[in-house]
Amino acid sequence: MILEPAQSLAGAVPLMQLSELSKAYGPVTVLSDVNLDIRAGEIHAIIGENGAGKSTLMRVISGHVKPTAGTIRLAGREVTFNSPVVAEHAGIALVHQEILLADGLTVVENLFLGRERTRHGVVDDRAMEQIAWERLKALGSTASPRDLVRNLPIAQRQLVQIARALLEDHRVVIFDEPTAVLTTAEVDTLLGIVRGLRDRGVAVLYISHRLNEVEALADRITVLRDGKMIGTYEAAAVTQEDMARLMVGRELSMLYPPKRGVSTLPPVLEIEHLSVPGFVTDASLVARPGEVLGLGGMIGAGRTELFEGLLGLRSAKVGQVRVKGKPVRIHSVADGVDAGIGYLTEDRKGKGLLLRERLAPNLVLTALSRLYRKPYIEQKLEARELDRAIGEYDIRVRSKRLEAGQLSGGNQQKLLLAKIMMLDPQVVIIDEPTRGIDIGNKSQIYSFIDALIRAGKACIVISSELQELVGLCDRILVMRAGSIVAEFSGDDITEEAVVLAATSGGPTAAAGGDSL
Amino acid sequence: MLKRNLLAAAALATILVAAPALAQEKKTIAVSIPAATHGWTGGVVYHAQKAAEEINAAFPNIEVTVKTSPSAAAQVSALEDLTASGNLNALVILPFSSDELTGPVQSVADAGTFITVVDRGLTDPEIQDLYVAGDNIAVGSTTAKFLVDNLGGKGDVVVLRGIPTVIDDERIQGFEEGLEGSDIKILDIQYANWNSDEAFSLMQDYLAKYPHIDAVWANDDDMLLGVLEAIEQSGRTEIKYALGGNGMKEIIEKVMAGDAMTPIETPYPPSMIKTAIYMTAAQFNGQAPVRGTVKLDAPLITKDNAEEYYFPDSPF
Amino acid sequence: MTDIAAPPQREPFTQRINWVDIGPFIALAVLILAGVIINPDFLSPTNIANVVTRSAFIAIIAVGATFVISSGGLDLSVGSMAAFVTGIMIMFMNAMVPSMGANAIIAGMALVLCVGALCGLFNGLIVTVGKIEPFIVTLGTMGIFRALITFMSDGGNIPIDRSLREPFRPVYYGNFVGIPIPIIVSIVVALIGAFILYKTKFGRRCAAVGANEDVARFSGISVGRIRTMAFVIQGICVAIAAICYVPRLGAATPTTGLLWELQVITAVVIGGTALRGGKGRIWGTIAGAVILEMIANLMVLSNFISEYLVAAVQGVIIIIAMLVQRFSKQP
Repeated sequence: MILEPAQSLAGAVPLMQLSELSKAYGPVTVLSDVNLDIRAGEIHAIIGENGAGKSTLMRVISGHVKPTAGTIRLAGREVTFNSPVVAEHAGIALVHQEILLADGLTVVENLFLGRERTRHGVVDDRAMEQIAWERLKALGSTASPRDLVRNLPIAQRQLVQIARALLEDHRVVIFDEPTAVLTTAEVDTLLGIVRGLRDRGVAVLYISHRLNEVEALADRITVLRDGKMIGTYEAAAVTQEDMARLMVGRELSMLYPPKRGVSTLPPVLEIEHLSVPGFVTDASLVARPGEVLGLGGMIGAGRTELFEGLLGLRSAKVGQVRVKGKPVRIHSVADGVDAGIGYLTEDRKGKGLLLRERLAPNLVLTALSRLYRKPYIEQKLEARELDRAIGEYDIRVRSKRLEAGQLSGGNQQKLLLAKIMMLDPQVVIIDEPTRGIDIGNKSQIYSFIDALIRAGKACIVISSELQELVGLCDRILVMRAGSIVAEFSGDDITEEAVVLAATSGGPTAAAGGDSL
Repeated sequence: MLKRNLLAAAALATILVAAPALAQEKKTIAVSIPAATHGWTGGVVYHAQKAAEEINAAFPNIEVTVKTSPSAAAQVSALEDLTASGNLNALVILPFSSDELTGPVQSVADAGTFITVVDRGLTDPEIQDLYVAGDNIAVGSTTAKFLVDNLGGKGDVVVLRGIPTVIDDERIQGFEEGLEGSDIKILDIQYANWNSDEAFSLMQDYLAKYPHIDAVWANDDDMLLGVLEAIEQSGRTEIKYALGGNGMKEIIEKVMAGDAMTPIETPYPPSMIKTAIYMTAAQFNGQAPVRGTVKLDAPLITKDNAEEYYFPDSPF
Repeated sequence: MTDIAAPPQREPFTQRINWVDIGPFIALAVLILAGVIINPDFLSPTNIANVVTRSAFIAIIAVGATFVISSGGLDLSVGSMAAFVTGIMIMFMNAMVPSMGANAIIAGMALVLCVGALCGLFNGLIVTVGKIEPFIVTLGTMGIFRALITFMSDGGNIPIDRSLREPFRPVYYGNFVGIPIPIIVSIVVALIGAFILYKTKFGRRCAAVGANEDVARFSGISVGRIRTMAFVIQGICVAIAAICYVPRLGAATPTTGLLWELQVITAVVIGGTALRGGKGRIWGTIAGAVILEMIANLMVLSNFISEYLVAAVQGVIIIIAMLVQRFSKQP
């Protein structure tokens, strides 16, 4: 089926009109020539893959980022937003994807931060608490205004953040992945609120990965791909499959290497009864050579924490861990390295690489003791290792004297992979292997993973991207609220099954790796 | 001006005579002084404790307690603690700073306590019953007069001054006044913060800057130690005198030994606290209380009288 | 986001110069130039030797501080620690004189190195095991060390035994092939420091811990051990400075090392090491220490600055030096 972009309704003056909007960081264009009109009283969904430019577009509209070219018109008048404050004054509010609240303050203090209500010049706590009660209740939140944000679960924090954005009456409200951390019931309440805003004549921009949500909610849908606008469509005219195809722009199967099938080899890594207080309860799993083991679930389900607990990065209670059948005790990343476990963090910039350090020192940081038997360092040896890694992992660099922070996301991820592989691990755990990187690098990373499996290693992939999980993995474990609740392999692996297990309990609840 | 030694001796003598007669009611004297942070205050603490020991041992009816404080704020709290018990008969205080301590001392005085102030005056002199202090102007002028006499009325001198305070200002003022009318020229005056290391550096720099120096005056003996090292290292021979002030025992030793470069010393003895404590204590042994101002002289200490100013056990 | 597939090209010469590395030396050169203009005596061999020798204590301690700051710590206790270990050293040597004679000096040196290392270890363990901000910990130990030296000296001074005065004197006043001993000691300390920081695994890890503690932890580095070691190195450097300091005036007093911590931190920062941690610059630190001492020297040698304003002018020069660095970084 060929989809025709929807035509603007003749006569209806859009509330907001974006023309030829572009944004570039130096030579890297992240958004080019976006033309979009947004009407009062509609829910307009923006969809696209990670890195397609959705968040950048939202940040431009809400004044967080200045466009390099193009204009924004609001109610027919051209406007320039130099800061989020200006945009907010013009009636535009953004609900961020990340939680941006002051941890050490209470809910009510956060709600009114920067716009405290006063009476006779004195902060009027009572009035603010009253408003906070009402707003939170309307959102279905169970948080009390006096709770410290630090003590709230992540879903409640997200609701507080939404309440903050809706505190004033706005003409345009932007939701950036608002449901990523919410449970089904909370999502339903939120969708009701979004519809309520539309009915009051507010223009809602809604960004989501969840295509079913988009289908249920949106009046119109705009698709972005690689920073370019693919088109705006009437929601009634497109199916979820259409949306997926428009977003990816090619057949999905081309992105992933052919699957290897479920492995029956003896396990390399066995984890039994691992608990991380507050995050993971009694998780057990087995990773075998020859297969990619996926770990799915919602953000906050405890996937990352499980492995941080395994490696002593969080305090954890461990029943037993065996590598190649031999019990090992792991108290630190160094112990893990010695045992043959390599872990690639999801937070590449914050925990993976020293952004202000050059490439070679980054590459060898974990492997220092393996590379050098003597206490001192040889630059030549490091340079040789860097050359090898650049060749092996196709890291594109203008100069070898660059700092790690100057590389693109994809190349950073390849450098990080090379850094872990220097340790020659038996099991490679990759947390969010392709977060925020472009499609070309993505498919390369997938083929590296495939190569290391074929080299006889085991690999565990943690991912929040359903497609990736389904497309890449031979076997998938799903976590929900700290427990491993389901396992899928072979033809049972479908997006629907994984989503269902991750959100509302799967077919084999409480089935762990120990049943294998 | 009263001679310090004479006065202390007199006070001691009168106490000793009167002691046995009046040993019934216990009288308390509190001594509040800065904690030892450099040589001079170290001496103050030493002499205060010495006086307390002597009096407590000799007179069962008098109780002297010494309290040291590391800062002005701490001294204010210390005063509150000392007066909390309610039966303080006399307070001997060497205030950290004049401004901050005036109010708190006033309230102690209001309770009827006898107040003796030492060294640094309060902003309101009405509060104190007795004021015992050294003469900083005399420290400067005595030294200056020595230089005028011994350099034949002309020459080039460099001066190292301490921390910007009244004490420092008065010493410099006395020195400049003492030189008036002579042909002695002050080449340079810089701060060295009463610190021997800084004085060492400053003296090295003076030596590099001025090819000819006849005499050096450091207005405190701590600094003089640094000055002497710098001169020795430079190997310069034209410098006739390097003088200090305060009465540090190392310098007194030099004077006693007839050192050519440091033949004299001017005292600003930390033992003034001892004098003050004894004069305060005298009234509890049947003496009429001594009121008014006692200014200790700053006589020239030479080889002949240095013995009197030598306290080998004092840290200063 | 697409990758830039530009062919590799040689960066222009100006980009290959690391301005942060040479910034302190440019500042030093400018200062020397200014010095010659202000007073020609400035460049006399005696004056230069005096100034550089004087800067040795701060330079040696600052080499240690470069490790601590590079690893993301901070040590405010170095000045008091210097006074404390100096006091211990003198008391020990004086006690050993009857039995050992002049060899007491050697014994004293050995002891002070151990005491310095222990003081550093003490700081380091409280910071890492106690998980308390280094600022607060070393603010506390600063008071402790200062009080201990005041207590040990009764507020007066602890002079070295007369019989040791002459044999020990050359350690500050002596020279080797015309170079004063303290300068040689600081150069050796800096060479060793630079080797450790740039050429060893420990140095690499030190910078990694300071640049990003999380990355270090995720890279299998024991953050606590590295930080503690940095404090121990700092303690040893303080002890080495104390060894050079004792023969200068032959005494420890409660004012020994007063405010050295601020001079040390200033020297490190002028030298180009970021206060928030990361890459340390040993040679910049040495230049920073010389710059500080040279500014003080110029204040005395110049005739046009009122004695009352010296501190203000010093402050202004330091701020200007930092601004010059900041702006030369991105030409």
